[in-house]
Amino acid sequence: MFEIRVHGLGGQGAVTLCTWVAQAGYSVDKHVQAFPFFGAERRGAPVKAFVRIDDKPIDLRSQVYHPDLLVVMSPDLTGLALSEGITPEGRLLVNAGSELAERFAERFSRDVYYIDATGIALDLGLEFDGMPMVNLPLLGTLANQSGAAPLESVLEIIHSIASKRKNSEAYDTAVKAGWNGVQIAGDGGGTGQVPPDGDFNTSRTGVTPIEP
Amino acid sequence: MRLLETGNHLVALAANAAAVEVVPAYPITPQTQIIEKIADLIAEGKMDAEYIPVESEHSACAALVSASLTGVRAFSATSSHGLAYMHEMLHYAAGIRVPAVMANVNRALGPGWNIWCDHQDSISQRDTGWLQVYVASHQETVDTVIQAFRITEDHSVLLPLMLNLDAFVLSHTYMDADIPSREEVARFLPPYKPLWKLDPRKPVTHGSVVYPVDFSETRQSMQLGQESARAIIEKAADEFRDMFGRYHGAMVEGYMLDDAEFLIVAMGSLAAESRVAVDALRKEGKAAGLLRVRFFRPFPIDEIRKCCAGREGLLVIDRDYSYGMEGALFTEVKAALYGHGSEPVRNLIVGIGGRDVTYELIAENVRKAWDGALDEITWGDAHVTDAHEVTRELLCEFEELLDQ
Repeated sequence: MFEIRVHGLGGQGAVTLCTWVAQAGYSVDKHVQAFPFFGAERRGAPVKAFVRIDDKPIDLRSQVYHPDLLVVMSPDLTGLALSEGITPEGRLLVNAGSELAERFAERFSRDVYYIDATGIALDLGLEFDGMPMVNLPLLGTLANQSGAAPLESVLEIIHSIASKRKNSEAYDTAVKAGWNGVQIAGDGGGTGQVPPDGDFNTSRTGVTPIEP
Repeated sequence: MRLLETGNHLVALAANAAAVEVVPAYPITPQTQIIEKIADLIAEGKMDAEYIPVESEHSACAALVSASLTGVRAFSATSSHGLAYMHEMLHYAAGIRVPAVMANVNRALGPGWNIWCDHQDSISQRDTGWLQVYVASHQETVDTVIQAFRITEDHSVLLPLMLNLDAFVLSHTYMDADIPSREEVARFLPPYKPLWKLDPRKPVTHGSVVYPVDFSETRQSMQLGQESARAIIEKAADEFRDMFGRYHGAMVEGYMLDDAEFLIVAMGSLAAESRVAVDALRKEGKAAGLLRVRFFRPFPIDEIRKCCAGREGLLVIDRDYSYGMEGALFTEVKAALYGHGSEPVRNLIVGIGGRDVTYELIAENVRKAWDGALDEITWGDAHVTDAHEVTRELLCEFEELLDQ
C-alpha cells in the first residue's frame, strides 16, 4: 500500500491531481482510492486530498494520517502539512524552488523533495482561470514517486484530457518535466523529526508564516 | 466493464445495468450525483427509462410507489433530510407491498447543519417495513443494487429495499469496480413480473380503508414478507456468486471469524475499516474477528446467535444513536442474543456527522473492551465540555448580554 496526502489551496487542482494519480495506478490494474476531505469548497481555502494505491482491494476508508508521500502544492502549507503527520520514512515533496526548499530542509530538519511546478506551468503558458496549472507537472512527479504507473500510462491519461486542446503538447511537456525534475534539498542524512504541533505557529486558516 | 468511479456514479450505472424503467427523484447532497448521472444517461440515449423530476422527496417516494404499482421496475435515491421528508410515504410504500429500490446515501440530520456521514437517517426509518442493507465497498454497492431487485421483486417478499451507502466515504470516493453489462445482468435478473398491476382499462382501488377486522393481517403479512426475504437474500447472494464470481456476504459477512475470541460487530464502511483493525490486532497475537451486519432489516437474528456464541466479548460499533437509550445496532444485537449467550457486549459510538474513524481507534477500543476496561456505552471520539452544553441558563445569560 502506498499512501499520499496532498495539501493545496482551493483552485490549485489538488482533488483533480489525486484523481489523475489514481487513474494512473488503475490503468496498470492496481487497486486505487482517491478522495478529498469535503469542506468549504472555496478558492484559496486549504484543501486536503488523498490517494491510496495497492496490489489488493483496499479496506481502509479513513483519511491518510501517515502518508508515504506528503505533497505540498503551496509552500505556505508546509508546516501545517507536516503537523498532520507523515511516516518516519515518508517523503516530503514541496512545490518550490531550490532556495525555499533548502530553507525548509533546515527549518524542519529533514530532506525536502522539491519541484518548481508553478514555474514549469507558467513557462509553458499553462493557466486555468488565472491560476498556474501546477497539478500537471505534479501528476508526473507523484506518479513517478509513488510508482503508480509508467510514464507512458500517465501520458495516455493526459492525452485523453488534452488531445483536443491547442496546447496539448504543453500538457505533455509539463507532465514529463514533473516526472523527471524532482530534486532533493538537505544533507541527504535522513528524514528528520516532525517538531511538535506548537512549533508551527499554525493559524486557523492553516497558513504557516515562513520565518527568514 | 472495469471502471474507476465514485460510489454515486456506480449506483447510477448499476441501476442502468439492472434495466430500471422509472426514476422519480429530487436532488440532495451527497446523493445528487446519482440522479444527475441517471439523467445524463437517459439524455444521452444510454438508458431507456422515464425520469420524473419532482418537487419534493415526499413526491419522489409517492411517484416511486405509483410507478411500481403499474408493473415497472422503479428506482430512486435520496439522503438524510430527504429521506426524513419521505417518512410518511416510506410506510405507504411498504404497506401497499410494492417492490422498489432506493439508494440512501447515509448523512447526518441537522441542526447543526452537516452534510457528512452517519446512519441516523436510515436508522430513524427502521420501523417503516423497508428492507435495509448497508454496503462497505464500491464493488459491493454495484453488486447489491443488482441483487436488490431480485430480492424486492420476489413474490414472497414484495417489500421495498433501501440500499445504504456512506456519504463521501463511499459516495464521493473514487475506487475501482466492475460493472456487468445489461445482458449479463439480465441472466441474473429477469424482467419484473408483477402479480397484478394498476391499469386504467381494468380499474381497481388498492390501499383504501381496511377495517380492524383485517388490518392486523395486512401488518402481519409485512412481517412474513420480511421473514421470507432472509432466504431470498441468501439465494440472490449465492446465485450472484455463481454467475459473477463475487460474494460480499448475505445477511452478514464474516472476517477471521472461525477462531476469533473477540468480535467487532459493525455496518457500512466502518466495517471495512474494522477489517484493518482485525489485521492489526492479529499481528499483536490477539484473535479478533469481524461480523459485518449487511442486512439490518430483516435483522440477522440467527446469524448473530450462531456467530457470537462462545466468544470472550463483543464490541458493537454504532454510527447512530437512539437518544435516551443507546446505539441502535447495540440494542438489536443484545435483543438477538437474549437467552442465547452471556458474552459481555459493549457499544462504541463513533463517526457521527462524518467524524473520521481510523482502524487504530477501533483497535484501541477493542483492546479496552477485551480487558473489561470500556464503559458499556462509549462515545469513542466525542468529548462534551461545558461549551457544548446548551442550557437554559446559558441562553438566559446570552439574552441578558443582548439586552445590555
